[in-house]
Amino acid sequence: MSDGLGRRDFLKIVGVGGAGAAVAGCSTDKVERLIPYVVPPEEVTPGVATWYSSTCGECASGCGIRVRTREGRAVMIEGNPGHPASRGGLCSRGVSALQGLYDPDRVAAPLRAGAGGFEAIAWDEALALLAEKLGTGGRSLFVTGRKGPAEGRLLDRFVDGVDGDRVIHDPLDDSALRAAVDIAFGVRALPRYDIAAADLLVSFGADFLETWISPVSFAADFAAMHAADHGEKGRFVFVGPRLSLTGQNADEWIPARAGSEALVALALAGELVRRGADAGPYSEMVSRYALEDAADAAGVEPEALGELAGRFAAGGALALGPGLAGHHQGATAANLAVLILNVAAGSLGRTLHIRAAPETEASSYAAIDGAIAAMRSGTYGVAVVSGTNPAYSLPRGSGFAEAFAAVPFKVAFATALDETSALADLVLPDAHPLESWGDGLSHGAREGADRRVATYAVRQPVMRPVPVYDSRPMSDVLLETGRRLGHDYGAATFQEYLRAAHDARLAEAGFAGDPDASWRELLRAGSADYPDPSPAVGALQAPAVAVDFRVPFLRGDGDLTLLVHPSPRFGDGTHSNRPWLQELPDPVSKVMWQSWVEMNPATAAGLGLRSGDMVRVATEHGEAELRVWAYPGIREDAVAIAMGGGHTAYGRFANGNGVNPMTLLPVAVDGASGTLALVSTRARVDATGAWRRLASTEGSSDQDDRNVAPAVALSALGHAAAEAESDHHGKVRELQEAGGFRRVETEGRAEDYPLPGSDFGEYAEDHPRWAMAIDLDRCTGCGACVTACQAENNIPWVGENQALMGREMHWLRLERYYETVDASHSGPLDIRFLPMLCQHCNNAPCEPVCPVFAAYHTPDGLNAQAYNRCVGTRYCANNCPYKVRVFNWYRYTSENIPEPMNWQFNPDVTVRDNGVMEKCTFCVQRIREAGNRAALEGREVRDGEVRPACQTVCPAEVIAFGNVKDPDSRVAALARDERSYRVLDAFINTQPAVHYLKKVTHHDVDEGGH
Amino acid sequence: MWLATAAGASPLLVAAVFIGFRQAPAGISSPEAGEAYSQTQPILFPHDTHAGQFTIDCQYCHFSAERSVDAGIPPVALCMGCHLVGVVGGRTERAQAEIAKVREYYDSGTPIPWKRIYKVSDHVKFPHMRHVAAGVTCQTCHGQVQEMAVLEEVAPEAADLRMGWCVSCHLERGASRDCTVCHY
Repeated sequence: MSDGLGRRDFLKIVGVGGAGAAVAGCSTDKVERLIPYVVPPEEVTPGVATWYSSTCGECASGCGIRVRTREGRAVMIEGNPGHPASRGGLCSRGVSALQGLYDPDRVAAPLRAGAGGFEAIAWDEALALLAEKLGTGGRSLFVTGRKGPAEGRLLDRFVDGVDGDRVIHDPLDDSALRAAVDIAFGVRALPRYDIAAADLLVSFGADFLETWISPVSFAADFAAMHAADHGEKGRFVFVGPRLSLTGQNADEWIPARAGSEALVALALAGELVRRGADAGPYSEMVSRYALEDAADAAGVEPEALGELAGRFAAGGALALGPGLAGHHQGATAANLAVLILNVAAGSLGRTLHIRAAPETEASSYAAIDGAIAAMRSGTYGVAVVSGTNPAYSLPRGSGFAEAFAAVPFKVAFATALDETSALADLVLPDAHPLESWGDGLSHGAREGADRRVATYAVRQPVMRPVPVYDSRPMSDVLLETGRRLGHDYGAATFQEYLRAAHDARLAEAGFAGDPDASWRELLRAGSADYPDPSPAVGALQAPAVAVDFRVPFLRGDGDLTLLVHPSPRFGDGTHSNRPWLQELPDPVSKVMWQSWVEMNPATAAGLGLRSGDMVRVATEHGEAELRVWAYPGIREDAVAIAMGGGHTAYGRFANGNGVNPMTLLPVAVDGASGTLALVSTRARVDATGAWRRLASTEGSSDQDDRNVAPAVALSALGHAAAEAESDHHGKVRELQEAGGFRRVETEGRAEDYPLPGSDFGEYAEDHPRWAMAIDLDRCTGCGACVTACQAENNIPWVGENQALMGREMHWLRLERYYETVDASHSGPLDIRFLPMLCQHCNNAPCEPVCPVFAAYHTPDGLNAQAYNRCVGTRYCANNCPYKVRVFNWYRYTSENIPEPMNWQFNPDVTVRDNGVMEKCTFCVQRIREAGNRAALEGREVRDGEVRPACQTVCPAEVIAFGNVKDPDSRVAALARDERSYRVLDAFINTQPAVHYLKKVTHHDVDEGGH
Repeated sequence: MWLATAAGASPLLVAAVFIGFRQAPAGISSPEAGEAYSQTQPILFPHDTHAGQFTIDCQYCHFSAERSVDAGIPPVALCMGCHLVGVVGGRTERAQAEIAKVREYYDSGTPIPWKRIYKVSDHVKFPHMRHVAAGVTCQTCHGQVQEMAVLEEVAPEAADLRMGWCVSCHLERGASRDCTVCHY
């Protein structure tokens, strides 16, 4: 190139040669407008985030959230650390509320069904029509989901006012457990579990880390109970036919047959009674149950149950279950048996507390069945549906859809049309929980010295309703309709109603202070404790009803039990239209976008099947075609399908993906509680001869001697020094001798930096060295971090077709490795989770291969990717041993993300599109934000001030982040821990900045090469 | 284009969406495209009168420059602080006509659709507050605004806000030259 003509100038001339006009650099000549506020909102500073405390509305757990807004838009949801139940954690579904808010399939205006489908009408017309029909259209039925206490009360008053009936449908409510508590203790309430206080935790199938009662708070408690601490570690035993994500976290698995939970629990209680324990009025009854009989019914070894009984006898135990996935026709009996076992084990008053408390309870299926029959017989002139989708989540045999369709006038309050609201005559666009007032009750709060049992949480709108949708909150519509019908609820808006309820509660509690200040404080904090005066129940009462504990009858003639279970991602299917969740690999199977049937590899081999083979799963009630996924964590006599797939009328991301297993189920009900049974039939599985690829991110479930996720036995902890030089990885030696790499010894201590032999670890004196510690002993593999990362960093999704080609955009993924999984015997279980993200290596293999210096190392220890330099050679990804760099092959961002979902984009992070390599940045935008703040205040960044998105949602406090050069920082302390290791570092000397802490096992493990 | 237009690139656009546009009141002409870019502001706001003649501090109107990444575009209500009817009404006929437009915008609740003059690329973060705190004057990047009757990008280097110009200043002042200080 000639003198004076630089590379950039040359490229510029070449680039614009034909256009005849030179456009300099990156500037644009597009006219852009700066739109100021007319009157600025007080709390908004342009460019500075405003946070609001609120309550998550995605399920009935009522976790506390903090919502980050920028210029009036919600852009991120994190957990609220001040919430007593969720304690700062959140799940993927909670984070994905943003995609419900900006859902492109939301209803934009009131709709009225006409001859040619729905027609948009004005709100006035819709409200007039609603009032007219409710006033004169005949008796009305309200079918709703579980609502917050204030909204529920308003709804009940409204229903009374129009002389209607209300049923509450929520497939995720454990009504069998409530019924069992009622029988056992005479109190109709969910038990309070103090998991953190237990030494032995036994789940009879309850998925308490996924969908059961309050998974986020349970995950925090579980981590506290199960993480190794000063040489002690709680033990978790899972009893059940299939390892859910919760089951995968167990230390031992007793693969008991579905339906045998009651017999196993009673036999264990009987064994305890025989050893001298007391089960109150049930003592005599349980002592007749023998371990051998139970083992026979469960298809497991009697010795395993004997050993478990011994562990129960040692005290400090807590038994949970059987939970939603275990609901069969004997669900109440099974729950009762587990409660009896808890009493026999002395758990009542220690780890299990029974206390009457305010709760929102779903109706039993029996009540819903009655409503269906009444709809069919023409009792109702009007049916109103809100917050629930029974046409999808009830079995076909229930006849809901037909009966609902037969009602003369149907109204749906809905944010988006689903299978039920699509049948309505009038659709009223409901506001999203992030746009509306409300409240919630949480049950996860630990029973502390102050005996707090109920947490009351308030929900406030975090932004004005998304303006492209003309939505109104149902509660406000009810108030308005009530006015038109001449009813008075004492409030013009639901905000006033909520405030009045708050004042009434204050008056009741004898509060003498300023109610306005109290309300403001409630809004700021998000929640308040309401000490509950009702006394704890101390003993079992004699049963008032006869309970049948036998293994329930399964319908059908197949030889495989069909296990239908709520999905950890979609729940009962409510969250299926969220691309983040569709693309979040299922925590168990790692499959995205599709449905699959889980089958033991031995069963599959017996049928000549392998993963990906299309099979026809048939019951007497329906059949479905889907892919096989061979899973060693399921009994050989069972197959499992998750709920949430197979939507037909929900939205663009849900429709047509997968299979709805409810279509395979009969209407089978647990007699004692009226709960719909999810385990009620056998299924036949026949090959179709076709094979289709699973959209799976699971590269390998086997560590292949790489020891990526090593573990250490509890008994070996504290002896690290002795083993340090024991056969120090032959492989490393081989590599070194072969001239591969020179190992640099470091334990991550601050004084070790810069590391000798490292050309890329030269960190300036006045810079921090950012590093992360990930405690694998606490990680439950739930994947909340993955969704939080995606939300924070404007990461697009690729969709099923691209996923099938092995393409993905996640910056953070959860690897899952099987070490010991055996469905044919009871025994130790060892499944390991490993959150894998950019390791920010000191000695990064990606950096030297980049021809344009897009991948480089920053002075504060980040492995950075300069997007505007990247030309997309992808050499870096090829050279990354951790497979954490992702490439945007097509216009995943601009084409996959429709309006207004892109409103969620984080303005602090560059939006990338095709041709650019990207990866975890350690949330550099948060590092820079904290740095800016610290610089303005003339101080250093404090330890714990920078929290990457993955860390902020993790309920189990797995992740720590900070400056490893500061010996007092938490991350440095963890990096010095004897369990600390760095993935592949011993083999290839990459010197990562991510320090993992080994999982701790109760059984002996081969520690391998770290 | 490699880098899609970020939603966050012009966050103030958001404000408009939430306030909601109404029809522009009669009498406010929308500037036609094709005229000189800087000449076609909806209101001919004279920076020289405000910042020069009356020496109003830049941050009186661009109020968030010292605490935010964004300097802030003054809300219409801020204009009305001085330009309420009967307070500051303008000395020339032309000024009076322009001020009347401001009042019209305010009275009708319509934000003023200013044309953007300065814009860094979407993949660049420019935290105003750090530069203000470091003593970089507004004029360093924006030119002698207090002398401009019509705001224009200053020539030559700062005009297109190229990276070399940023880096040279960072070099001179000993500020970080790390890419991720601005690019992330």
